[in-house]
Amino acid sequence: MQKVIETLLIGLSTGSIYALMSLALVLVWRSTRVVNFAQAGQAMLSTYIGFEIASRSEIFWLGLVFAIAAGALVGAGVDYFFMRVLFKHATSGPAAVVAPVIATLGLLGLIRSIVGLTWGGEFKSIEAPASTDGFSVGDGTIPFSNLDVLIIATVSIILIALAYIFQRTNLGLALRASAYAPEIAQLAGIRTARTRTIGWSIAGAVGGVAGMLVTSNNFLSPYSLDLLLVFGFIAAVIGGLESMVGSVIGALVLGIGLTFILNYVGTSLVFIGGFSVLILVLLIKPDGIMAKGKARRA
Amino acid sequence: MRKKIAIFVLIGWVLLIIGDRVDELRVYQGAQMAMYTIALASIVLLTGYSGQVSLGNGAMMAVGGYGAALTLNNLGTPIWFAFLMAIVTASLFGALLGAAAARVSGPYLAGTTLALAVGLPAIANQFAFLGGEPGLLFDVGFPPERFGDEFTQYKWFFWIACFIALIAIFVTSNILSSRFGRTWRAIRGNSLAAELCGVHSARMKVLAFTVSSGLAGLAGAVLAMTISLVAPGAYGLALSFALVTGAVLAGISSLPGVVLGAFILVVIPEISVALADRLGDADKLNNYLPGLIVSVLLILSVIFTPNGPGENLRKHRHKKPAH
Repeated sequence: MQKVIETLLIGLSTGSIYALMSLALVLVWRSTRVVNFAQAGQAMLSTYIGFEIASRSEIFWLGLVFAIAAGALVGAGVDYFFMRVLFKHATSGPAAVVAPVIATLGLLGLIRSIVGLTWGGEFKSIEAPASTDGFSVGDGTIPFSNLDVLIIATVSIILIALAYIFQRTNLGLALRASAYAPEIAQLAGIRTARTRTIGWSIAGAVGGVAGMLVTSNNFLSPYSLDLLLVFGFIAAVIGGLESMVGSVIGALVLGIGLTFILNYVGTSLVFIGGFSVLILVLLIKPDGIMAKGKARRA
Repeated sequence: MRKKIAIFVLIGWVLLIIGDRVDELRVYQGAQMAMYTIALASIVLLTGYSGQVSLGNGAMMAVGGYGAALTLNNLGTPIWFAFLMAIVTASLFGALLGAAAARVSGPYLAGTTLALAVGLPAIANQFAFLGGEPGLLFDVGFPPERFGDEFTQYKWFFWIACFIALIAIFVTSNILSSRFGRTWRAIRGNSLAAELCGVHSARMKVLAFTVSSGLAGLAGAVLAMTISLVAPGAYGLALSFALVTGAVLAGISSLPGVVLGAFILVVIPEISVALADRLGDADKLNNYLPGLIVSVLLILSVIFTPNGPGENLRKHRHKKPAH
């Protein structure tokens, strides 16, 4: 029984990090109709900047703030200098549909090589902001630690802040409107292009947090966030790619499920488990768990 | 049709002559180029014709490579049968994966294939019969003795690779100019209109991914032959990225373009090594310079010539682009 509970708790902490990554993907998908595979690269770049600050100042939180800022800047930059140019050029012909996705792939490669050339390929680690020793329960300790509590708390704060922005502010209304019906939003006086850039920068910032948190009890390398991207994508697919609430629920379910596989079956099956979830969701409920009736065609 | 066969035979004959004239390294690169040609054809078929994106064609190549190696090592079959099994394994796998991901429109296929490419090492480690990180041996054997002592191993690889590539491209070009090629282009252009004309678009998209996976699997077996083994490292994300780049650079919907794309993919590492030597700090540069060149080329070409260099030439000639 104790093992079940501790697996649930660890899964919650893992899943909450996935939630951030999948939110970043969903935010961009809603506004731009592109699954931003470069998100792993953007998050990685932000995390390296956060790592640099955190290891110089020895304050994790300062690093996190810088990672958020860097993520927001990089996200906005990618949309402003890259996606806008791309949508201006690639408008017709056989490649028009696929160009944006391929471009994000190129961007992922570009950021990866720049990071590799700057910091090198060796593993880096960030000093965790809280103890990673498990809590003691009765006469034993469980793997659930202060750090996990901190991760869940941080993610909760960010989710609440995002929910507030999206539901209660004019900016959130503009973001939702231009994602749902860009032309009508434009007619209503919203600067949709600028709103989209803001959406990209929010996604970038959220990705930066995900990178910092996942690195706080793991290693950082130019490839270390690829798996986070994949799990974030799977979580987003569970939520139907459209729904932010759905992607968070999907991420938590995925995180808990994969932690159960990790604790009860073995490490090596974690990826295969996640991949099977993706295939099953696509086969059974391709519109995701939040789909109501017929979803609109992408 | 007869003219096409004649052209392919002529190309084969020219390749034979070239193979005799150049040194060992060039012969090896020639085999690599033949491998890339097949792999790029699989992307042209999938992306350029049916309008779907696979970001993990390297992983499908791995499936073919493993299929060929397992067949050859366990059953001791002739080489040609191993290559055939590479196609069969990869198409079956592609059909299964496609039934889930290619059926639904949207970014699902891209994401699923990317996931597969990222998780390839984990999968190879999980199943003991795949040999884990070091992988499996794939040895097609020495060249037949009647070719004489002068005939080197790499030249044998070159012969096999070119022969397979010629057949593969011939078959692909026929598929693309058949009913299927037309249907795929119709779906890519406007899937709703295609469905109104009676096309079962989901089924055709799965079929496109299946055929493309078969081609990729064949390329994977050829790659396994040139390096004599199948290991997850050789089929990583970098390979998938390079394939997409090569296809976009050469014009995503142009089958003859794949030769140019394959040439560029073979040349990039060479340029990058030369550059790294000149700039010093070889270790870092060797690891990341090829990736940098590939991604910069990919980004530039997708922004400025998304439909391949051919389209810009045409536009230039006519000034007013015809739509």
